[in-house]
Amino acid sequence: MYKRMLFSVVVAMITILLVGGPGLAQVLNIAIPQDPDSFDPVKTVAAATGEVAFNIYEGLVKATPQGEVEGALATHWTINDTGTVYTFYLREAFFHDGTPVTLDDVVSALNRARDPKIAVRAGELSMIKDVHPIETGVQIELHEPNGAFIYTLAEVYASIYPAHALDLARRPVGTGPYQLQEWVPNQGLELRRFDQHWSGKIPYFEQANFMIIPDENSMVLNLKAGRVNLIPRLEVAVLHQVENDPNLVILSSPMNLVQVFSINNARPPFDDLRVRKALALGTNREEILHGAAWGRGTLLDSALSPSMASFYNDSLHEVYPYDPQRAKELLEEAGQEDLQLVLTLPANYPLHVQAGELVAEQWKALGIQVDLQIVEWGTWLERVYTQRDYDVSVIGLAGRLDPHAILVRYTTGNSRNFFNFSNTRYDELIRLGLKTVGSERREVYLEAQEILAQELPGVFIMDPPQIAAMTRGVQGFKNYPTYVVDVASLYK
Amino acid sequence: MKRYLLQKTGGFLITLVLVSILTFFIVQVLPGDPALLMLGTEGTPEVYARLRNEMGLERPLLERYLRWLLSFLQGQWGNSWRYSMPVRGLVARAFPLSLSLAFLAVGVALLVATPAGMFMAAKPRSFAARFMSVTTLVGLGLPQFWVGLLLIQVFAVSLGLLPAGGGSSPVSLLLPTLTLAIPRAAILSRFMRVGMADALKQDYIRTAKAKGVAEGTLFFKHALRNGSLAAFTVAGLQFAQLLAGTIVVEQVFGLPGVGQLLLNGVFQRDLPVVQAVVMVIVFLILLFDLAFDLGLGVLDPRIRYE
Repeated sequence: MYKRMLFSVVVAMITILLVGGPGLAQVLNIAIPQDPDSFDPVKTVAAATGEVAFNIYEGLVKATPQGEVEGALATHWTINDTGTVYTFYLREAFFHDGTPVTLDDVVSALNRARDPKIAVRAGELSMIKDVHPIETGVQIELHEPNGAFIYTLAEVYASIYPAHALDLARRPVGTGPYQLQEWVPNQGLELRRFDQHWSGKIPYFEQANFMIIPDENSMVLNLKAGRVNLIPRLEVAVLHQVENDPNLVILSSPMNLVQVFSINNARPPFDDLRVRKALALGTNREEILHGAAWGRGTLLDSALSPSMASFYNDSLHEVYPYDPQRAKELLEEAGQEDLQLVLTLPANYPLHVQAGELVAEQWKALGIQVDLQIVEWGTWLERVYTQRDYDVSVIGLAGRLDPHAILVRYTTGNSRNFFNFSNTRYDELIRLGLKTVGSERREVYLEAQEILAQELPGVFIMDPPQIAAMTRGVQGFKNYPTYVVDVASLYK
Repeated sequence: MKRYLLQKTGGFLITLVLVSILTFFIVQVLPGDPALLMLGTEGTPEVYARLRNEMGLERPLLERYLRWLLSFLQGQWGNSWRYSMPVRGLVARAFPLSLSLAFLAVGVALLVATPAGMFMAAKPRSFAARFMSVTTLVGLGLPQFWVGLLLIQVFAVSLGLLPAGGGSSPVSLLLPTLTLAIPRAAILSRFMRVGMADALKQDYIRTAKAKGVAEGTLFFKHALRNGSLAAFTVAGLQFAQLLAGTIVVEQVFGLPGVGQLLLNGVFQRDLPVVQAVVMVIVFLILLFDLAFDLGLGVLDPRIRYE
């Protein structure tokens, strides 16, 4: 009997030592659906990279959860009177390989990022005229004042890495709070805490594993089984599986994604504003929000999400409220009682397909003949986005930190303007937006949003919910207006 | 035998070349191009043009095919467009997992199906045999992703016994193996039952019985060899099919196998990966086919290769 008791005590002690003993590495497992593409900041194009790379790389500045920028490798910066010369003062910091960050590294990284022969997104930094070191920091000279410039420096392509780094694509060397240890495609990425981070703060989790789990149902089961601690972006369709689980915490916030029924403004009869108005008035967005996003999203009236708090125009709700009667009248006025249209839906986005199916029924009630065409993503990109060969489609456009990056898409002749939208006043405002600052800049973008709401490049629907699900006990989750997971802020 | 092997090898090579041509051109015909897919809704014409150039997509089709074939034969499989990693590393990492999964799944299926099928043939009217027969039907009808999710729910979430996914430890292969084995065992046991029942009706069995051969010897020695031939052939086909990846199971269990690699490759039009994976799969299947043909000869001495 005693022997037996002694035995169980020993077993219990061993178990405690093995499972919860002090000094055990704190590991956080995060589930994401897709692999990054490349960790070379100037080569990457996949959103999945930015999500992970946010923890590895830093720029002169970095984004805050509020959508502002704050100093990262630069302690602070000054702008000259004409708004064309930015001077950044560097702090003492180290790269993951132990070498100190030098002026030379900063200059070479920024020059590489704007070199159109190397960098994929060089165009986004084309406002830069010159980058040169000065005694205390780095000076960036712009061709002309640009209100969006400082925000572009927080993007992944403006990250700072050592001038001597080789093979960044697979072995990133940054200054962020975590460094990449291993990457096995289709399986996961292992990140280790970087103890020499300039902030002096040591994140709680020693190791963070980003696990690739493509299936949303098994993501949820893995969370319930404890193999995963955090799902930063949960599909709304599986929300009901986790909602009432006492062991899990669910946080919902706007995604800063604009879901819009894009209308081909150049193709008759959609070039007639009355027809576009009829489509907008005949769209019951409330019903779409409930039918496709389980009522969780935020309704939109224009191209900015309310998560862009300092620029969002919140007075546009009454521009085109649901009014099928008025919609029918407008179609009649335009001589389009027998309107036929093809609604092209991207098959890989269930949210958009469902929204499309709902709106098709709503538009059919107006007497419009709607043909649904569900296409694979590659086909969608080719036909709708590139060739602009479509009537109406639906897509979600990812948000950025700065309104210019989002709104410039709707200007005449912009290569991303697959709406074929064109409005002179709007073009003027977007140009003006770069040259103004402060409240004046805000006014410009408020008016720009109003034009979009009235002139309708498409029918804006909602900002879908961004749902983060985590094991109870995981704390400090910060939601950003950009596509990132901030591991360093998490603790248990 | 020598002539047979020569013929087989010739067919082998011709098949490989044909497959390489087919996959190359089929991926070309698919709508959507790799550069566009990488850029999504943020692409601009300049970036797009440069990506296409970097991928070598601007060169004529035939030139691209020949270039690829040449370097492939020299062992230079290039870099994946999607992962910016050497294709060879990706392939070398994915195949061992899928191979062991295929091997385990068919092995478990055979282990279950052989005795079950034999029993159903030996005692066809018993309650147990009827019950098994119904069970095999259920096993056949269950969708795999659902079985997988159910197994995770039971063994990982509710009981907490096994990991819910990942391919890092041997234990984590248990649930995926089971998921794959269930429908295969169902099929195999039916083939086994029919084969055995058929064998037991043969004249030579009656003769043996008349000579007074013991029931057990009769069943296991005389009938089994003939009766299991069909089931083994099917098991071979199942194995070959599993070699090509087990996409659904890999998705559900988050396994970095061939299926995922190929699926993502196709979705992203990652041509270097798709090409290499298909070539390796076809190579393995042909190799297996050859080994299997020779193996059947051992099981059934009537099969001769001239």
